[in-house]
Amino acid sequence: MSSILNILLAGVFHAATLFLVTAGLQLIFGVQRILNLACGSIYALGAYVGITLTTWALANGLPPYLFPLVLLVAGLVSGLIGIPLERLIRSVYRRPEAFQLLLTFSLILIFQDVIWFFWGAEPQQLSNLTMTYGTISVMGVTMPTYNIMLIAVAVLFAIGLNYYLNATRSGKILRATAENHETGAAMAIDVKRVYVWVFTLGTTLGTLGGALVIPTTAATLQMGVELVVEAFAVIVLGGLGSMKGAIVGALIVGVIRAIALFVYPEVEVLAIYAIVLAVLIWKPSGLYGKVEA
Amino acid sequence: MSRSIISTKRRQILKTLGAGGALSATGLLSIPAYAKNKPLRIGILAPRTGVAATIGECGIRAVEWGVARLNAQGGIGGRKVELVIQEETSPKETIDRYRKLILQDQVDTIHGVMSSGVSLALAPLAEQSKTVTMLWDGTTQDGVKEMVPYPKYLFKAAGNEVDAVMASLQAVKLYGGQIKNIAGVNVDYTYGRTTWTTFLAILKKFGIEPNIVSEQWVKIGTMDLTSNIAVLKAAKPDLIFSSMFFADLPIFMQQAHNAGLTENAKFVLPVGGVQQTALKKQFTPEGLILGHSTFYFDDKEGSQLQKEFVKWYVDKYKEHPHFEAERAYFCLAMYKAGVEKALSAKPNAWPSSSEVAQAIPGNKVESLGGIGYMRPDHIPNQTFYQGLSTHKNDYDFVTLGSVNKMSAEIIQKPAELEYWDWLDKADFKVEVGRPKGSFVQKKG
Repeated sequence: MSSILNILLAGVFHAATLFLVTAGLQLIFGVQRILNLACGSIYALGAYVGITLTTWALANGLPPYLFPLVLLVAGLVSGLIGIPLERLIRSVYRRPEAFQLLLTFSLILIFQDVIWFFWGAEPQQLSNLTMTYGTISVMGVTMPTYNIMLIAVAVLFAIGLNYYLNATRSGKILRATAENHETGAAMAIDVKRVYVWVFTLGTTLGTLGGALVIPTTAATLQMGVELVVEAFAVIVLGGLGSMKGAIVGALIVGVIRAIALFVYPEVEVLAIYAIVLAVLIWKPSGLYGKVEA
Repeated sequence: MSRSIISTKRRQILKTLGAGGALSATGLLSIPAYAKNKPLRIGILAPRTGVAATIGECGIRAVEWGVARLNAQGGIGGRKVELVIQEETSPKETIDRYRKLILQDQVDTIHGVMSSGVSLALAPLAEQSKTVTMLWDGTTQDGVKEMVPYPKYLFKAAGNEVDAVMASLQAVKLYGGQIKNIAGVNVDYTYGRTTWTTFLAILKKFGIEPNIVSEQWVKIGTMDLTSNIAVLKAAKPDLIFSSMFFADLPIFMQQAHNAGLTENAKFVLPVGGVQQTALKKQFTPEGLILGHSTFYFDDKEGSQLQKEFVKWYVDKYKEHPHFEAERAYFCLAMYKAGVEKALSAKPNAWPSSSEVAQAIPGNKVESLGGIGYMRPDHIPNQTFYQGLSTHKNDYDFVTLGSVNKMSAEIIQKPAELEYWDWLDKADFKVEVGRPKGSFVQKKG
């Protein structure tokens, strides 16, 4: 029993990581119809800034138990990269989707080189900060408390985003713009400002995700590219632009991978993409995606 | 089992090396006049980005140090040495850069390469272009078998499985009789698969046939290993064998420790020493079998050359070098030995690539990890370093408590045999470890 719980928890932890990468991607696509291939690179930027700020803060006397606050600041600060990025991406709003893909793909390469320039090619990691809060043992399963905190953060992100989009005035404006930006503009919505806000919010979700996850892993130049592959499996499963889809898709990918590793490790990747393929055939728009006319 | 290559022959070898160096330094070795004015160019192909960047960069730094040292002593055969460094990426791109080094940069020789895939792709080109090419790494035994079988210009690195053979023998010696349930977490490419199969083959050879409770293949660059750790926890292995050595290894150890996996299981990491400084004491236990391949920076019995290099490296980069530094330096020293041997045979003209290539096999050179020898089949014999991890040091990472050294003469397949046949027949003279007080079975 404890083994199964352990494997499921590991799957949920991986799902939480994937949700933190895809939440921003879904928000941006949902409102702006921009498929941001560079979402993984934005996540990586958050991770690198998180390492630098945390290392600096600890060296300057910050008590270790406060490190998540520094990571939050790192995520929020690096998320501001969304403002100039939106200005750049604005040039392809009304162009065919291939231009968006090319532009955001080129951003992946640019981000890789920028990170290489500032942080070097060597993998970076924080020392074992995840153990600052010790471990939790439930039904024979031992897990670092920080991992549980991270799952909780992903759940809070999901609840917070849901509340923001459905219960706040600003969120309703976003949804109205997402439905039809021309009608939105006719109703005096400043669409340009909405786009800047959405893109920056989406970017900040990504950088926050990267910063908060980094104590459990290492930052490498490739991390953005590697994550984006799984992130796209998540959005194909859940449906492009759907926040609920991001949650469900991340859970499917995370848990299926963990179970596959336990049952038959050789099919770890195959299991995920077999389900992706099945969903594409059965419901091409994804489990919660809208069917385009 | 501990055995050092530093035998009674060493003094004789060092004497020969010293004599060669003295000849070179005093100018007694005749150098064609034209050659003195033209620098000798060495092309380097090594990864500088990606998961292998740390490893490639370490090799580049060592070769830069070696070249500066050589130039201060008069270069190679009287010619100053210049490096032309290009990045190793995919096989196709690296082949393009290899061609560029030959055609545009007009290098005299090319060294480097870490990936088995790239080395396989380059091998035929080295022969076609008649360029002396010396590989730092990237030669799994299967790769060696598939490469040009009798190369003239290509010089390979020691087989990557050598580390696995040594680590497996250590595991047999230390835990043999106690190994009941084992798990493998290995990198998902030829190297990872061959090292795991090597481990199983060696256990079987010594009559140890444990249950394989988990067999996992990790893609290079996977950084979230939580699910892998959960599966290992569920499998409850006594011993975990992992050939991981990129940035994923410290993450694996960190996550394993945080999940309580390091409390009971023994670990065997045949080339884990590559990540030595990232294997922090906080999460890396004492007593794991840790391999450092052909170079261990903290070897108290190391040569003057080793100590000088380590000091320079630590002072300059605030890091500690690993085996790729040794591989890179070894290739440089071996190439120098070949050029100077060819020059001494034909003093009035600079030797051709063919003459240098013919002069390299049979040479013994002093490298950072000890004396290395180039076999006639163009594969070197070097010393390999492994031991049990300890926290008893002044660093924040684990080092080796006692250093075991083995010569590749014992743990690397000879030229004439197939790898698996050799492994089956080899006489390793290792005693199978048993629980305290029990019978110790002699095998091999």
